[in-house]
Amino acid sequence: MAATSSPATEQYNYDIVKKFSVMALVWGVVGMLVGVWIASELAWPFLNFDSPYISFGRFRPVHTSAVIFGFGGSALFATSYYVVQRTCQTRLWGEGLANFTFWGWQAVIVLAAVSYVMGYSQGREYAEMEWPIDILIEIVWVSYLAVFIGTLMQRKQPHIYVANWFYLAFILATALLHTFNNLAVPVGLFSLKSYSLFSGPMDAMTQWWYGHNAVGFFLTAAFLGMMYYFVPKHAGRPIYSYRLSIVHFWALSFMYMWVGTHHLHWTALPDWASTLGATFSIMLLLPSWGGMINGIMTLSGAWDKLRTDPVMRFMIVALSFYGMSTFEGPLMSLKDVNALSHYTDWTVGHVHSGALGWVAMISFGSLYHMIPKLWNTPMYSQRLINVHFWLATIGVLLYITAMWISGIMQGLMWRAFDDFGNLQYSFVESVAAMHPFYAMRAIGGMFFVTGMILMAYNCAMTIRQGVREARGAAQPAVAAA
Amino acid sequence: MANETARTPVQTTGHVWDGDLQEYNNPLPVWWIYAFYVTIAFAVIYWIIYPSWPVGSGFLKGVGSISYVNQQGEEESWHWNTRAKLLRETQAAAALQRPYYDKIASLPYDQITKDPELSSFVLSAGKAIFSDNCAPCHQAGGQGVIGHFPNLTDDDWLYGGTFEKISESIHKGRRGYMPPFGEALEAGQIDALANYVLSLSGLKADAEKAARGRELFHSHAAACYYCHGDDAKGRQDIGAPNLTDKVWLWADVPGAADDAGRLAAVRRVIAGGLDRGVMPAWEGRLSEEQIKLLTVYVHELGGGK
Repeated sequence: MAATSSPATEQYNYDIVKKFSVMALVWGVVGMLVGVWIASELAWPFLNFDSPYISFGRFRPVHTSAVIFGFGGSALFATSYYVVQRTCQTRLWGEGLANFTFWGWQAVIVLAAVSYVMGYSQGREYAEMEWPIDILIEIVWVSYLAVFIGTLMQRKQPHIYVANWFYLAFILATALLHTFNNLAVPVGLFSLKSYSLFSGPMDAMTQWWYGHNAVGFFLTAAFLGMMYYFVPKHAGRPIYSYRLSIVHFWALSFMYMWVGTHHLHWTALPDWASTLGATFSIMLLLPSWGGMINGIMTLSGAWDKLRTDPVMRFMIVALSFYGMSTFEGPLMSLKDVNALSHYTDWTVGHVHSGALGWVAMISFGSLYHMIPKLWNTPMYSQRLINVHFWLATIGVLLYITAMWISGIMQGLMWRAFDDFGNLQYSFVESVAAMHPFYAMRAIGGMFFVTGMILMAYNCAMTIRQGVREARGAAQPAVAAA
Repeated sequence: MANETARTPVQTTGHVWDGDLQEYNNPLPVWWIYAFYVTIAFAVIYWIIYPSWPVGSGFLKGVGSISYVNQQGEEESWHWNTRAKLLRETQAAAALQRPYYDKIASLPYDQITKDPELSSFVLSAGKAIFSDNCAPCHQAGGQGVIGHFPNLTDDDWLYGGTFEKISESIHKGRRGYMPPFGEALEAGQIDALANYVLSLSGLKADAEKAARGRELFHSHAAACYYCHGDDAKGRQDIGAPNLTDKVWLWADVPGAADDAGRLAAVRRVIAGGLDRGVMPAWEGRLSEEQIKLLTVYVHELGGGK
């Protein structure tokens, strides 16, 4: 017994994958709870309790960092370490370095969250961490790159599997984005504050070049890497088209880098720069859809599994939301649509249809596939996975519907003129009109986080069961020896 | 897996990873390629019309153009740009407003309220200006907040409710002040004054204490009459409130649960005084015509004199 199960653990370093998987679940619960809290603060402001520490301004980056970098990041570390080992048929290179990426990354999330609550922020969206934390991220990230490339280089397979291209693109692009967006001169050696190297519109442009590519490479390319391994693996079917994967990989990587300026339409940014951002966003539509087509077509022929396998359902729903939000995004990047949508809740809804619908759903599916393999035992409860699926789906739908209505209403109210040429609505009237939708959004979030908590419970029970079984299996083997 | 691969006419690439991971070599979907070309064509057309690629120290201006009126009032035509578009749209709205504002500027106040069309304009424009500038304190309907900001919809005015006085309040701002009497007077005296103030509005008060309060009110010891007047009806020239009209601003009498609470609310104001009745000056922040319009709007909220 021990002889049959040990090679897998020796061949691959699962310890690091397990650690990151557990932390993905932990940060998922924490980050989404904070998200529900701040959504509730917007709907019912007494929840601020007049404390600066938990006010929306400080808690919002705690939420975004915990879900993007804590939950999403840990899920990416876990799956990329898992996928690169299994598809290269080799053990992870640099065991100590890989461990450092774990502890370093967790330290980054904790330090970031604590510093935001204390009121420290660089004021750059999704890059709020002050410079000392930025340096730690840089070191962790370069170590990650070294571990990943080191493993690829000692692969026992002649070809590099497509999932690894996406993971590698994500690691490289993130290193580049993080470095340039955080170029700053500290005010003093013992000060957390710093001055950006850029100023004015150049600073804004650098920030949104970073910001949108955080979406493009962190939240899209990397999770496509996840999709390219777990969807065909779980469906037991080959990827639909190798050619499509090559073409859309390069097209996506090339196009994404240009689109950041669509966040700065109608600002001091020169019009030509904003035009390029808009048009590259339009050209990005089909390259983005390449991943969706490849995923969904891989599943065709295995549709029957959707009826019985909730994990499969997570994956297909994730791909559908991916397709929808990558259609919505280019639409919103057009200057005239943006004139309506910018600064409204529509943007928030769009981000969450991608973040909850695509990123979280594909991570749930992948983790549900991977965790039983890591601990060598079936999931504790299939029923709970099914309940999680419905809670998550209802939650996302409530959330994005609320934000669509609220956002479009806001945009229309802000620009409405009456026959006299006067603004028809005051700002405060638009705030009052948004209130029911803020409540609806918070409730959608509550659905989603409840599913996340069920998942954490289900996985904890699975791990316990796996550990117990492993101990049980080891003892007779020892006795037999 | 092997069977399934054999059944399909499309070949896999021949690579196998992790035991069973394979890839078909299906061609790119035709609709996908053509749709991709369409988006590229769309982008190229966009580049031709709008400012696009940087060239040297300039950029391609695009064939689209936009005209607007510049600060000198001359019509100017420029390559398409977002700033000109915004200018055009705000100018179009301003052009609609212009005749009404001109009329408001030329007419005396009472003539404005008599013209039904001008009145509807005041209501429409005033709501927008009031909501964005005044509502944070005086609230969206002008009803104010007891204990903080005066109600503008009743006919009780601290500084006067004529057009001229309202205009002056908006232009220059106001600063309400009442000295604290907590140290100058004894607790019993303050209590007597509070009873008297409540009795002025016909509220329940201890008759004996109120009589003592009345005496104090008119004495040199407290000298309340100096600001609030012999008849306690206030003095609008210095913003001293009328204490006889059952309208409460600083002491939250209507919000108190019982007689003791009402007394305590008045006592707090007498003892502590007031140094927060500050309204900022809007002169320079709003234009003259906006202030004139706002004056009429506030006057017409209900209580103008």
